[in-house]
Amino acid sequence: MRARGMWPRHAALLVVCAIMLVPFYWVVKTSLTGENIYAYPPRLLPQAPHLFNYVDVWYLIPFPRYLLNSVIVSLLAVGGNIVLNALAAYALTRAFPGRRWVVLLLLSCMLIPFQATIIPAYLITARLGLLNSWLGLALPMLSTIVCIFVFKAAFEAVPRSLIDAARMDGLGDLRILARVLLPLCKPAIATNVILSFIWSWNNFMWPLIVTRDPLMQTLPLGLARFLSYVEDTTGALYAFVVMVLVPGLAVFLMAQKEFMRGLTAGATKG
Amino acid sequence: MSTLLGRQGRQTAMVACFLLPSLAVFLLYRILPLGWNVWLSFQSWSPLHPAQFIGLDNYDEMLRDDDVFWTALRNTLVFMSSAPIAIVLALGIALLVNSDLRGAAIYRTIVFLSYPLMTVAVAIIWRWMYDERGGLINFVLRRLGLVDKPLAFLQSFDLAMPSVIAADVWQVLGFHMIILLTGLQSIPPHLYEAARVDGAPAWARFWRITVPMLRPSLFLCAVIGILNSFSSFDLVYVMTNGGPGHATELLITWIYKTGFGQSRFDYAAALTVAQFALLLVLTFLAHLASGGNAGERA
Amino acid sequence: MYQRTRPVRRLQNRFVLVPLVLAVLVAAWNLYVALHAHGVVAGRVVEADGRPAAGATVILYERDFITQNERGRTTTGPDGGFRFNGNASHLVQLQARQGALRSARVTLRLWFRAQDARLAQPLRLGPG
Repeated sequence: MRARGMWPRHAALLVVCAIMLVPFYWVVKTSLTGENIYAYPPRLLPQAPHLFNYVDVWYLIPFPRYLLNSVIVSLLAVGGNIVLNALAAYALTRAFPGRRWVVLLLLSCMLIPFQATIIPAYLITARLGLLNSWLGLALPMLSTIVCIFVFKAAFEAVPRSLIDAARMDGLGDLRILARVLLPLCKPAIATNVILSFIWSWNNFMWPLIVTRDPLMQTLPLGLARFLSYVEDTTGALYAFVVMVLVPGLAVFLMAQKEFMRGLTAGATKG
Repeated sequence: MSTLLGRQGRQTAMVACFLLPSLAVFLLYRILPLGWNVWLSFQSWSPLHPAQFIGLDNYDEMLRDDDVFWTALRNTLVFMSSAPIAIVLALGIALLVNSDLRGAAIYRTIVFLSYPLMTVAVAIIWRWMYDERGGLINFVLRRLGLVDKPLAFLQSFDLAMPSVIAADVWQVLGFHMIILLTGLQSIPPHLYEAARVDGAPAWARFWRITVPMLRPSLFLCAVIGILNSFSSFDLVYVMTNGGPGHATELLITWIYKTGFGQSRFDYAAALTVAQFALLLVLTFLAHLASGGNAGERA
Repeated sequence: MYQRTRPVRRLQNRFVLVPLVLAVLVAAWNLYVALHAHGVVAGRVVEADGRPAAGATVILYERDFITQNERGRTTTGPDGGFRFNGNASHLVQLQARQGALRSARVTLRLWFRAQDARLAQPLRLGPG
């Protein structure tokens, strides 16, 4: 009885999933197709599929360089997020005068979208002499308020007695953080890693503003630049799209539980 | 007593040291820019000219002479309609997924899949979907006999905006679904059972229980939708770059163009202040509409 | 009381294993590339009737998305065979010419730069 009542739901969800997946299929199909992607009518299946568009992307545009830049900036952002957020969150779990104000300050900072501050942010980065540099690309993303609260919630869930016992053993704050709290808060670390990775990997506007040198461009910028260079005329553009999407998708699928939890935690805290 | 104070002092020093790096980042890239931005908007300043205080001249120009500002403002409000569309669709999907349906996790993952993607890539994917010759949408429309000639979605004054909105809905749908799903799962099941015992039909249960209980989540989705429409730079920049004409120009793309295209940082700063003010007003309105205290509970 | 799992156990999770597998694959691929990248492009040229064409000129073009540039010429031997050394591209076109006769331009797509390659089909000379 129940199972029979379920099939309309399955049908509806299958339609939804088809709509969500078809654009992916269309792009992958185009990236595998040979010379003329403009032939009408387009074929639903790739004709004589081959992978050479991907080889073209690798060699004919500085893809390895874009990849290197993206990876370095993402690593900086991920590393910065783990260290800085863990430190800040640990501090916030302790009682200190003005704690309420710091929390309030962080919460109100969350309301300031980064896009609302791009012009002075650019000018500040220029004053610091960090335009066209990896550090300049990563600096605004080194710490994220959402992720601080993810860590804070995880630290608060650790039994107080454990921390007190560690303190009795003479461990300092840094040791308590590194040896006791972080090993117990692996899901929070995973959330931090995946959120900061996805955000910095996908970030477009900030790199667009602070890099003028083509050698310092990250993958999204390279993609936009390639688009303006070849327009929509070659299957290689779509191969580029797929190559850029795959790392993000892979990381997301590896840790989707942590990712979704981080998003909902971050969203509900705001 | 003295040891206690000493410990207290050490603790404060520790807290300060631990908080400092993060706070420095936020100070440098959130708070300081916000103030600088306001200050800059009252100035006449460019990299080549020394700063000069000009009062409200930038705002005067914006409100009286800049037609594109008004177009962009209108477009931003229109673009915001992607939020209610996405929320309604996401609610539908969340209701479908939120049950002991077999494979619910797979459906959820697939619907969510488009959210963590690089928006630049999403924009290129949708440019291609809308393409006149190679695009799937035109192909299907022509096959079904709905149109004779291919529609130039992104080059048309009338169709460009809805097309970009559709692409945006496609990308953010999964996010709203996850938020609403979390909200749905926090509704105590006994409420539904009680209603069922009372003989309330399904639609009554939906309007009387689901919607009121989901209010904080819906508020959250609305706020994030509003934020999103103010910051959807990537999608519009790559899909249409504000074109054709200024048909899809948003405030954020116009700020970028005046600031970094024309090097008019002062004027772009005034635009940014206007955008931020509007954002605050809208968030506050959403707060009021949700009954004032929603969002606290979630 | 502090979590002290053995280091090896601690590394056995997908966040370590997946990158590790990827690193191994990348290293293996690079090794393969290093062993097969001499830039040799070889093939044969035949007349319209299938006889080997000795003394024909073969031109190698390098292509990218927009342009194509001539990168080398060579002459076929008595068996119609030819061989280029030092091709540095992954995307080349080959054309044979003899007098007024010429072959179609054959595109050769390689998996990496300077991959050693051999044309499967001979270049067939024909009128213009």
